[in-house]
Amino acid sequence: MGFQFKYSVIWESIPTLLVGVKLTIWITFFGLLIGFFLGTLAGLGKTVRSQLLNKISAVYVETIRGTPLMVQVMFIYFGLPMAAGTRIPPLVAGVTAIALNSGAYIAEIVRGAIQSIDRGQTEAGRSIGLTRFQTVLYVIWPQAFKRMIPPLGNQFIISLKDTSLLVVIGVGELTRTGQEIIAVNFRAFEVWTTVALMYLVLTLTLSKLLAVTEKRLEIQT
Amino acid sequence: MIKITRLFKNFGSLEVLKDIDLHVMPGEVVVIIGPSGSGKSTLLRCINRLEVATSGTIIVDGFDINDEKTNINFIRTEAGMVFQQFNLFPHMTALRNVTLGPIKVRKIPRAKAEKLGMDLLKKVGLGDKIHVHPDQLSGGQKQRVAIARSLALNPKVMLFDEPTSALDPELVGEVLEVMKVLAKDGMTMVVVSHEMGFAREVADRVIFMDDGVIVEENTPEKIFAHPQNERTMNFLKMVL
Repeated sequence: MGFQFKYSVIWESIPTLLVGVKLTIWITFFGLLIGFFLGTLAGLGKTVRSQLLNKISAVYVETIRGTPLMVQVMFIYFGLPMAAGTRIPPLVAGVTAIALNSGAYIAEIVRGAIQSIDRGQTEAGRSIGLTRFQTVLYVIWPQAFKRMIPPLGNQFIISLKDTSLLVVIGVGELTRTGQEIIAVNFRAFEVWTTVALMYLVLTLTLSKLLAVTEKRLEIQT
Repeated sequence: MIKITRLFKNFGSLEVLKDIDLHVMPGEVVVIIGPSGSGKSTLLRCINRLEVATSGTIIVDGFDINDEKTNINFIRTEAGMVFQQFNLFPHMTALRNVTLGPIKVRKIPRAKAEKLGMDLLKKVGLGDKIHVHPDQLSGGQKQRVAIARSLALNPKVMLFDEPTSALDPELVGEVLEVMKVLAKDGMTMVVVSHEMGFAREVADRVIFMDDGVIVEENTPEKIFAHPQNERTMNFLKMVL
């Protein structure tokens, strides 16, 4: 009895999987949106003169980078509610985990890009009377942002794939949807192939989007 | 205009400036010369607090710049700085480079700032490069935009930190020409430079620095023809 690849399984599972795809996109989008915000704050926090902000940013980045995402997810969903006494919906926990996790890596991207801008730019900004904040806003950030795009793209793709770990808290994203389909039809090979291809389509689309953004910024200057 | 008294500056244990006294009168053009590492640039950078003095006082236009109560951003608009490496903002056009300060610091309306910017770019001979980005300008053109950028804030003093040292030889003249016009218009200028010809022609006073101290100062005629100090003599012998 040889293995028979059943194409029909793929067609049958696509509609259900697309529901999971939608949720994966949704979690990735909001997770990264908040993550970018957190990462920008923490990244800037590492470049400012305040020792306190340096420390806070460093503790955040090191804690998140130094622990597995899986543990973070379970801590947020199973651990925190025990201490706080209230339950968090899995979706909220999932978005929070992706946001906190990506934020830590994005912080390093932001810090690196800002510090890569020549000191002379800051001096020129300050010498025409701009405040520290104005110098970052008008002079440093626009230049740094361009340099952030390739590493940000990398992080976006990693975070998108990381949403698959949310199966452990029962969020019905793409991977979870795949598991559920297999639980019914036992066609692991076909379904995981389809799931993998769907992730690939998502990440390739993201890559393309970032490449276009990069090109556009290139033309603008 | 500038009154520096007993200025010391250390970088860690390295003493870069040792007991500097310097007065610059309104409208005066002072050129500082000296070997590299003598503290010339550091002195200039202390004047608009890009470097913070270790001790001593620096009064610019009546304001003590090391006083916590002095608004340093205001002082910086009073003392324009031109850098060796131009430090133009690469993501902005020449015009935007010039108008950023007036718009964001002086709060001048955009239309008025752009008029001012265009006038200044014309003044430095770049009326046709208004909408060009720095990467399409030559070094000499970049430095002239940088001068216009500083002038846009209507400063009382202009500080020049080796403004022609990063330029190809054939581009030095056009920058010096702009500086000469400024000097003729009565701008107070402090210039760190290796351009002895410029010093001779334009300076009211030449200061020779070595090893963190002002060794000798005099009119260009006297200092070039009859240097008093042996260190000045040796330096001039090497560069002239």
